[in-house]
Amino acid sequence: MDMNEIKEIFFQECEEQLAELESGLLKLNDGDRDPETVNAVFRAVHSIKGGAGAFGLDDLVSFAHVFETTLDCVRSNKLEPTQDVLKVMLKSADVLADLVAASRDGGSVDETRTRGLVKELEALAHGDVPSPASHEAPKPAAKAPAAAPKAESPKPTDDSGFQPIPFTFDDFGSDEPAIEGSTYDIMFKPRRELYSKGNEAALLLRDLSRIGEMSINCDATALPALDKMDPEGSYFGWTISIKTAKSEDDLRAVFEFAEWDCDLEVKPSEAESSDEELPMIPVPFDLSALDDAPAVDDKAEETLAAAVAAAETASNVAKAAGAAARAEKKETAAAAAAQNNAAAAAAAAGQTIRVDLDRVDRLINLVGELVINQAMLSQSVVENDATGTSAVNIGLEELQQLTREIQDSVMAIRAQPVKPVFQRMSRIVREVADMVGKSIRLVTEGENTEVDKTVIDKIAEPLTHMIRNAVDHGIETPEKREAAGKDPEGTIKLTAKHRSGRILIELADDGGGINRERVKQKAIDNDLIAPDANLSDEEIDNLIFAPGFSTADTISDISGRGVGMDVVKRSIQALGGRISISSRPGLGSTFTMSLPLTLAVLDGMVVTVAGQTLVVPLTAIVETLQPEASAIHSFGATQRLISIRNSFCPLVDVGRILNFRSTQANPVEGVALLVESEGGGQRALMVDAIQGQRQVVIKSLEANYTHVPGIAAATILGDGRVALILDVDAVVAASRGQSLKAEMSLAATG
Amino acid sequence: MAAKKAGSGKMKLSAVLDLNEASALHGQLISMRGSDIVLDASGVERVGVQCAQVLVAGARAWDEDKKSFLVEKASDAFEKTMQLIGINPANLVAKEI
Repeated sequence: MDMNEIKEIFFQECEEQLAELESGLLKLNDGDRDPETVNAVFRAVHSIKGGAGAFGLDDLVSFAHVFETTLDCVRSNKLEPTQDVLKVMLKSADVLADLVAASRDGGSVDETRTRGLVKELEALAHGDVPSPASHEAPKPAAKAPAAAPKAESPKPTDDSGFQPIPFTFDDFGSDEPAIEGSTYDIMFKPRRELYSKGNEAALLLRDLSRIGEMSINCDATALPALDKMDPEGSYFGWTISIKTAKSEDDLRAVFEFAEWDCDLEVKPSEAESSDEELPMIPVPFDLSALDDAPAVDDKAEETLAAAVAAAETASNVAKAAGAAARAEKKETAAAAAAQNNAAAAAAAAGQTIRVDLDRVDRLINLVGELVINQAMLSQSVVENDATGTSAVNIGLEELQQLTREIQDSVMAIRAQPVKPVFQRMSRIVREVADMVGKSIRLVTEGENTEVDKTVIDKIAEPLTHMIRNAVDHGIETPEKREAAGKDPEGTIKLTAKHRSGRILIELADDGGGINRERVKQKAIDNDLIAPDANLSDEEIDNLIFAPGFSTADTISDISGRGVGMDVVKRSIQALGGRISISSRPGLGSTFTMSLPLTLAVLDGMVVTVAGQTLVVPLTAIVETLQPEASAIHSFGATQRLISIRNSFCPLVDVGRILNFRSTQANPVEGVALLVESEGGGQRALMVDAIQGQRQVVIKSLEANYTHVPGIAAATILGDGRVALILDVDAVVAASRGQSLKAEMSLAATG
Repeated sequence: MAAKKAGSGKMKLSAVLDLNEASALHGQLISMRGSDIVLDASGVERVGVQCAQVLVAGARAWDEDKKSFLVEKASDAFEKTMQLIGINPANLVAKEI
């Protein structure tokens, strides 16, 4: 693994840490006061700082350091995480993300903003906040370390004799020569997780003691009374003085597997006489009695030994990686990074693996080919075995089942929760709201809803645009909201859920809703509609998706950039999705996006239209029926309606719309597919015959040929022929007029 | 089992006092509260910090109750671990508190 790869892993981990940081801060913002949340936030910044230090990313390190210091004040209850404090923290998280991005991709960050935030963070750390610290943790009797241990239930030193006292062990003869080197002070306070993850502080201390001449002071002040304590809790903390020829990094390496689960400070001793300040107990060199191997006893139980052995094996791997990196690069920083990454990799092993996306995509493509191939094989067998009873046929059915399962499993690899995208949106809301002087809260729901990675990657841009719009145009100013009797703080709700094989993303604001008068006027001004057009509320609302439509009176930095909702609509459509809006004046608007879960396969109905084979996505079809002559009614010159259960539904001849034929087919000779269109209305699509239903592998027409109106994509059928996949919404939209192309522009207007 | 009862007020500590044993040891101590206690540490091969915490809290509790809390025949491993983690073994080993 070369340095670039290690660095790449570091940046990937940064993304995870940043997400962790933001979600933690948002939880705190929502009133969560769980110490673990604060710890998680702190750890995230700390991890980024640690890795950045190893790569010499000084800007990142120095900002993370200031941020971490302030977070530490929150962690030690010196700083109350009020809304004002969290506002600064959230902004700092944004800057940290910018710094990470700048370190990764080059570029620069807004230095003025960074400097400003550094000042704000420092002020917070120094206690310059409106609300004073509420319950500052009492300092332990020991010399106060910078990261003060959390005193869960501080108890004054009692006189039971357990306050450590100076003690000499003359009988422990040193078998090593007197150590030449430096003295370090170490503050080590494990958290509960350290133990619950199978680590043991005593073993860490034992390993540490082997590095040099060590004396120790145990701070047991946090230990509660016997009946109040959690036997599996962590109460002891230590101040250690160690004289060693080894480096600070070597000392830290002892704790590398426990680093995230403890407070740790290692620094060169400031005074040689530090022993005098604290009652320190010297630790003997000969600790062989504590070795976990047979040296102790063959009967020793295996549980901890196994955990320790595993940890130590991993530790050796990490150390080996570190040593190799050192030898190769002669850079201790790089070595530390290698160790960190190896350690993280070792810890993560068994739960997750990182796989290059290209490899997954290759697998998906191959499985796609497999599906096609299997379909071809099935077809040729069926053609030669009309009875369908041969062993080959039965075997093929099983193969089909297996292929389907393989495909589902492979698709699941690419499925990811929408959480990262949603988290990005909260930053956008914060920033845009700040710019326009509004107070807006983003509420997210269903962040763990999973969808294909491609969909996630492509949804971010349209969603960003819509969020900006919602903040800029949707939510009113606090004054207007107050005047309307609303909470001055606006709310934007972002929801994701699965519905009938698709993912539904809803963006709802509690703003003023669409000003239909203004939208209509604007549409008339822009020649989008005729001045005397009689439009329903829904149709007016959908005008905002028309190209170049913008109702903002002034072009702002935020939204009115000439890129309107039509782009959003096109992006969603390009993903095989639909978008619609519903708005209630004075109460807000809701945008609903319905997207396919994957862009790789779809369940479709294979139909024949004018001698061509087409695939209609199954999700669009409500029902299929054979029209009777009595149910067909003419309407106007060219329109026909079909009567279904006492309601009328427009009949759309797919062959005519796609220009496969010049005259309308006789509906009675074909089959009608009842489909639901985007606006909620139904259409009956006329096709000549249904061939069957099957899963098809989507092949992009745009990538392989060019966009064809009315056609969403293509696929390869079992007999090797290419079949086109129908874009149901485009066909429905086009059915309102004569030809598809002419109607495509109208379709975009909704 | 963190410890085996060896008659009233006497308890033999388990060989391995690791994180798995902390709760059991804690429960044992709580159940024996109110009378003098002697802990036999002769068979202890390994002590984790969590069990040490329980023992220290126990010693404090017994001290509060004005009862004696005695660790006797401490094994080398017991003694050295206590020393390693900064608990003065003299206060736990063969000495009434």
